[in-house]
Amino acid sequence: MIRLGLRNLFQNKTRLIISVGGVALALLLILVLDAVVTGVQTQVTSFIDNSNADIIVSQENVRNLHMAYSAIPASFETRVRNVAGVASVTPIHYLTNLIEIGDVSNLAYVIGLPREVDAGGPWRIVAGNPLPADGEAIIDRGVAVNSGVGIGDTVKILGEEFKIAGLSDGTTTISGGSVAFIAEKDFVRTRKDTGSVSFLFVRVKSNTSSAVVAAQIEKQVDKATAQTRDQFAERERQVVNDMSTDIVTIMNLVGFLIGIAVMALTVYTATLARRAEYGVLKAVGARNLHLYGVVLAQAFVSVVLGFGVGLGITLLLVALVPQMDLPIALEVSGASLVKVASVSLVIAALSALLPIKQIAGLDPARVFRGK
Amino acid sequence: MSLALRNLVQDKTRFALSVGGVALAVMLTLLLNGFLAGMYAQITAYLENAPGSIVIAQDGVNNLLGATSLLPAGAAVAVKSEGAENVVPILSQFIILELHEKKQPAYLIGFDPKIGGGPWRMAAGREPRNEREVVFDRILAQRHNITLGETFEIMDRDFTVVGLSDGTSSWMTSFIFVRKVAAENLLRAPDASSFLLVTPPARFDDAAMLARLRNVARVQVLPKQQVMANDKQLFGKFFSAPIQLMVAIAFLVGTLIVGLVIYTATVERQREYGVLKAIGAKNGVLYRVVATQAVIAAGAGSLIGIAATYGAARLIMSVYPQFLVVVEPRAMFQSLVIGLGMALLAALFPARVIARLAPAEVFRK
Repeated sequence: MIRLGLRNLFQNKTRLIISVGGVALALLLILVLDAVVTGVQTQVTSFIDNSNADIIVSQENVRNLHMAYSAIPASFETRVRNVAGVASVTPIHYLTNLIEIGDVSNLAYVIGLPREVDAGGPWRIVAGNPLPADGEAIIDRGVAVNSGVGIGDTVKILGEEFKIAGLSDGTTTISGGSVAFIAEKDFVRTRKDTGSVSFLFVRVKSNTSSAVVAAQIEKQVDKATAQTRDQFAERERQVVNDMSTDIVTIMNLVGFLIGIAVMALTVYTATLARRAEYGVLKAVGARNLHLYGVVLAQAFVSVVLGFGVGLGITLLLVALVPQMDLPIALEVSGASLVKVASVSLVIAALSALLPIKQIAGLDPARVFRGK
Repeated sequence: MSLALRNLVQDKTRFALSVGGVALAVMLTLLLNGFLAGMYAQITAYLENAPGSIVIAQDGVNNLLGATSLLPAGAAVAVKSEGAENVVPILSQFIILELHEKKQPAYLIGFDPKIGGGPWRMAAGREPRNEREVVFDRILAQRHNITLGETFEIMDRDFTVVGLSDGTSSWMTSFIFVRKVAAENLLRAPDASSFLLVTPPARFDDAAMLARLRNVARVQVLPKQQVMANDKQLFGKFFSAPIQLMVAIAFLVGTLIVGLVIYTATVERQREYGVLKAIGAKNGVLYRVVATQAVIAAGAGSLIGIAATYGAARLIMSVYPQFLVVVEPRAMFQSLVIGLGMALLAALFPARVIARLAPAEVFRK
């Protein structure tokens, strides 16, 4: 049954290429969209994942950083430091702003760092100093390269001029933005900050549970939310997820419908072209069920090949996009593969319905009449 | 033409599937572009309806939604002293709301109801009268069953919903409005302003006012239209790459569908094409027959796709009211051109079959 289906499928190479190509493109629609969302989820947590903080303390009910705003009294630093199990506290100033280099503006998370940094600083310096002194900035290497600036050059952040003192790697974020670090003193001066900080990045003592210390911080410090790094990163991913769920659903549906249309068309035309042969098989005693199996096998094999090609193109895009200077990062997740594989099976089953109907209605005697 | 049409519609199911496939591909293209156009309209809605024609931001900030802006103290006074007719200060910031376990980004605008800069169209209720009241976007409220009079937690403070605004929704983010002093408290930024919305007096045009305002130190002075364009560019930069990629995929899918149908129809009629060649028909004539079939299938698919897009857009907007799908005439024209492009490319598959066809072949079979 499968052998007959395969021979039927591979008999006309052009049709096979079109069919597999069509399914591959339809599945590619779903795979690429998922890869965009997963890529964004990874980008959006890069700062937190690499922050070296065990716990992040923020304004009450502020549970993430991207598109959020947090302001807590600077005095909270001492109160958090006094909680049992806390090893160190680094106050972090944060807001979304622009790095201006000449006429080009680049979106950036601007981080104001104190002189002593245990968490929240740049995690991979490729050139220059590891921390910014007053009047200095550490910016993303990619931003510097694309703008043609380097160590010692000047950039504008928060409307003020800063000398580039260091270049960091891995500090690109969502929407083509990056993370830029300046000294706390400069941040406070430009923002006219009145005794508040954005977050407290907390390190806990060894052999101490971050979750337990976070709960203690919430208990002992009013109007503050304390989360472990993993909880914070999860909330960050959730923002992207909740924003994209509806649009992903709609686009997946369109990709699914296109996949069905392409597959139905190819399996239908392949069956139509072999109508006489199916009639002969029926005339010599083949049961309808057997012929349905042949049609299903064709659809299944086409879809499996299409899935393979679609996945191959997606992986190629995953590798190529970082070299194309596009403000997106693609990443294929296991969940996406399972989803697309399931969708493929449904497409194969549904696309076989039309030709099955055709075979069911086929009169064996017709083939002998030459119709 | 007649031969092409008869060849094409000879198998109605196949014709319907091919037209349906092209229609879906065209619909996908139009919907994606419609999403982008709708998103642009939604993200610029506030400035479109806000007072004034000039925006003053913190030095280095050139858009409303991308970066946090904080003006230097005394900026409003300095702007007024340059002769501005009306100066509306707002304090704004993206925040994340927790609604039914879901994270919902919202753009918080703190405004002074006496001066302006708040919601421009109320669907229900009124503007906030004190620092514990908020006006919610109508669609955001509807999606999360938030009603007038309800108490709602924004960051670390409770607010009562006293009004629902119209035209302030977006799938990216929705606008919510509080009094400026309430925003100052929430953001712990007393007396702060993010932007000034400036109206020039009758005696100055925008250019003259812009020139005068450039004397104000440590601020960015931009025409409102420029700020709107910058917001579009910022969001477009992120969304246009994946959307263009998906449009390209849709185009290829459509081309393959038409190609497959015309190819199959041509292979099935190989004998007849051979006979035509044998009695003197040139390849050019037969190519035309094939191309005509492709144009008919793609044309019908494109037209149905355009009509289906309107239906799909309505359906999407009723199920997901936060989405705005704007199908522009230019996009429709583009999709027709895309359909024609699909047809011409698709005709290449069967044209290859015809070119290789030996006229004598049919008599040997």
